[in-house]
Amino acid sequence: MNISSIMHCRRTIATGCALVCLLASGVYAQTPADALLMKGKEICIAPFYTHDTWNKYWEGSLLRENQNIGQLTRNTYSLMLGYGITDRLNAFVNLPYIRTSASGGQMKGAKGIQDLSLALKYSFLLRESMGFQWNILGTVGYSVPVSSYLSDYMPFSLGLGTSEYSGRMILEARHKTNIYFRGTTGYMHRTTTRAERDYYYADKGYYTDIMDVPDALSIDAALGAFLFDHRLQLECYYLHQNSLSGDDIRRQNAPQPTNRMNFQSASLYARVYPELIKGWSIFANYGQVINGRNVGRSTMVTAGMTYQFFTKKQTL
Amino acid sequence: MKIYRIIAVIFVFGTFLSCDKDLPTGIRYDNYTFDNPDSKGGTWKPVLLASADQIAIPQPEDISSAAYKTELENIKNAIKEGDPANGYWGSNPILRWNEIARELAAKYNLTPAPNADGTYPAPNPAQPGVYPYFPFAHPPYTARALAYMSAAQFDGMIAAWHYKYKYNRPAPHLTDSAIRPLYDHGSLPSYPSDGAVIGAISREILSAMFPLEKEYLKSKSEELKKSLVASGVNAESDIIAGDSLGRGIAKIFLKRASTDGMSKAQTPKAVSDSIANAAFSKFGWQWTNMETPQRPVGIAPFYGKLKTWNIPDITTIRPLPPPHPNSEEFKKAADELVQIQNNLTHEQRKIANWWSDGLGTYTPPGHWNRFATDFIVKYKLNPIRSARVYAYMNMAIHDAGISCWDAKYYYHYPRPIQLIDQFKTILGTPNFPSYTSGHSTFSAAAAAVLTYMFPAEKNQVDQWAKEASDSRIYGGIHFRFDCEAGLLQGKKVADLCINEAVKDGAD
Repeated sequence: MNISSIMHCRRTIATGCALVCLLASGVYAQTPADALLMKGKEICIAPFYTHDTWNKYWEGSLLRENQNIGQLTRNTYSLMLGYGITDRLNAFVNLPYIRTSASGGQMKGAKGIQDLSLALKYSFLLRESMGFQWNILGTVGYSVPVSSYLSDYMPFSLGLGTSEYSGRMILEARHKTNIYFRGTTGYMHRTTTRAERDYYYADKGYYTDIMDVPDALSIDAALGAFLFDHRLQLECYYLHQNSLSGDDIRRQNAPQPTNRMNFQSASLYARVYPELIKGWSIFANYGQVINGRNVGRSTMVTAGMTYQFFTKKQTL
Repeated sequence: MKIYRIIAVIFVFGTFLSCDKDLPTGIRYDNYTFDNPDSKGGTWKPVLLASADQIAIPQPEDISSAAYKTELENIKNAIKEGDPANGYWGSNPILRWNEIARELAAKYNLTPAPNADGTYPAPNPAQPGVYPYFPFAHPPYTARALAYMSAAQFDGMIAAWHYKYKYNRPAPHLTDSAIRPLYDHGSLPSYPSDGAVIGAISREILSAMFPLEKEYLKSKSEELKKSLVASGVNAESDIIAGDSLGRGIAKIFLKRASTDGMSKAQTPKAVSDSIANAAFSKFGWQWTNMETPQRPVGIAPFYGKLKTWNIPDITTIRPLPPPHPNSEEFKKAADELVQIQNNLTHEQRKIANWWSDGLGTYTPPGHWNRFATDFIVKYKLNPIRSARVYAYMNMAIHDAGISCWDAKYYYHYPRPIQLIDQFKTILGTPNFPSYTSGHSTFSAAAAAVLTYMFPAEKNQVDQWAKEASDSRIYGGIHFRFDCEAGLLQGKKVADLCINEAVKDGAD
């Protein structure tokens, strides 16, 4: 296997992690799905950690502080596995453990395993033309809560507590200079979540413990480059995600899973392939929510590593 | 490729499967016939009315009159056009008005946000539309709104029943068999329209309690009046008489409301501080709000001074003092809370959340009105019996609130987060003193009245009240002694209320 395909694989894993993370809980996402694929029978393992904090949030469209929360911290420890089913079809599994806490007030934080995510990525088209390598891919994802965490405990809750079906289309154009552009559009269908109360108000009263979690649409764009003979990858990334329905957090009220959660975020991503250790890479991501509605103005720092290898069956 | 296709199919199919998001926004019930019309209902003892005929209505036109015949034709035309509310009001509109009241409580149950300088604004009834909007429908406020609405509805039904059986105008379909009513009220006379009485009273009382909703409430009551004709239940003259009777009765209740002490319940800071100081010099403790920035005044310090419905002397209900924070008894209670928070089970968490009825919800009084509504439907009560359930239950809940607030600000006992170092909770701590627990007091009072009205439900409602009370311990916001004292207090209040109910002539 040539060096370039190893790199593709490794990079796929890390961004695949982020992809699954994104699928599971869009609002906490940092980096995008990418346009690359692992080879058939290739396995990737990627542990990573995300430190997400905010001290202001948007109550509807009003950006505010809340000293009874102070700074909210969300620490996520994830383990992701990727597998090349074929050269064109890859599968990903991700499982995060999350811990939340607030620096102010007297409310207890939450901790536990969040959602199990599964994703498949398929390459429809890979073609060279006009000096670019064009790649069109599609992903489908599914995630489901695997612990009895309470979604109706925002902003401390571990996640939205809903199953999510998602689909994405990815287009990447890579120039022979190893500068690339990528654009993605995705749709996330969320089912419902179960509160531990059978009445709640979301623009009107609901007499049920079932909360409708709004579907969401996302658009993102990335500009990046592989430098130093593919040993360093740098990427700028912009994500815009909007809920398609939902209510606003009411004045001085707590958020809830029925809210319309919109955000735009910008991130910088770097990934290094140390020459000394075969099959390993380390990566880091810095992201900032720059605008939003009913979400925290999060600053997110992610660090992780990947290890990639072929199963015994296939040797090169 | 094959795998991919299968996955795609599963994905698309799953999407369609999970698209059913038609969630209930109100009670759903089957319309029912009133088996027993309670023909003696006009002789029952009203709450505030001096007599059932205190508010006069004109004698109706005879059913053989030309005017009434025209009205019957109008009913047929209205039926042809269809119910403008699409069956929403159902056979017993009082259920919907109770639901509307709960909805408004949830809508207005929001605490003011702090100003940028760390001070807090307060709702101003003279300028309800300026933030923070008036009212802040916290549990005491909601208890009172529901009590006035329900007590007035009950008096309205007694007056309506008096005239119904005085004039004995048969339901429209009994005079003209071409009329097929949507709801068959059997032999219940139709003049005046009980639905219109309920609509007018509810609209008037709720408009006073939720002034920003006047237009909404008007549209609801107008819709109900049209609906009563379009469903073949009432003629226009039934409606006009009912509407006027209801307005007259609402006035009597609103007059009481204007002088019951509520306008002074939210005291200025100086008064609030002196209440706290009085408690401190008497007991050696005082409750303090723990929010940042600190709220200068708790919720409704003088609510305990409100005029009660059925408690002759509030101090006779006041419980004994809570244990001193230095005592062994206190230490035991505090240790219990820490133990529970450190080892909270899923079941305990669920109970805490299930009963939390906190900000943005219909409050514990609303929760018990929901239960009452379910029982009224289950036992197919007619409008006057329904009104009686709501009236006595809500008077008891309101009195329970007054009595509880009397204890809260008399003892001014600190909350667990104030007395237990580094204590963190899963529920937000409310902005008023700890002792006694409002949930416990409200719930015990409501459960006792519901037991009196629906004896077969005793075990169920007692269990609910106990669970509502325990929920505050699991939530970390009340000591066990707050809850136990509250349950006893609520029961005592309810007994005073039931003493009146047994004498009203309905049994």
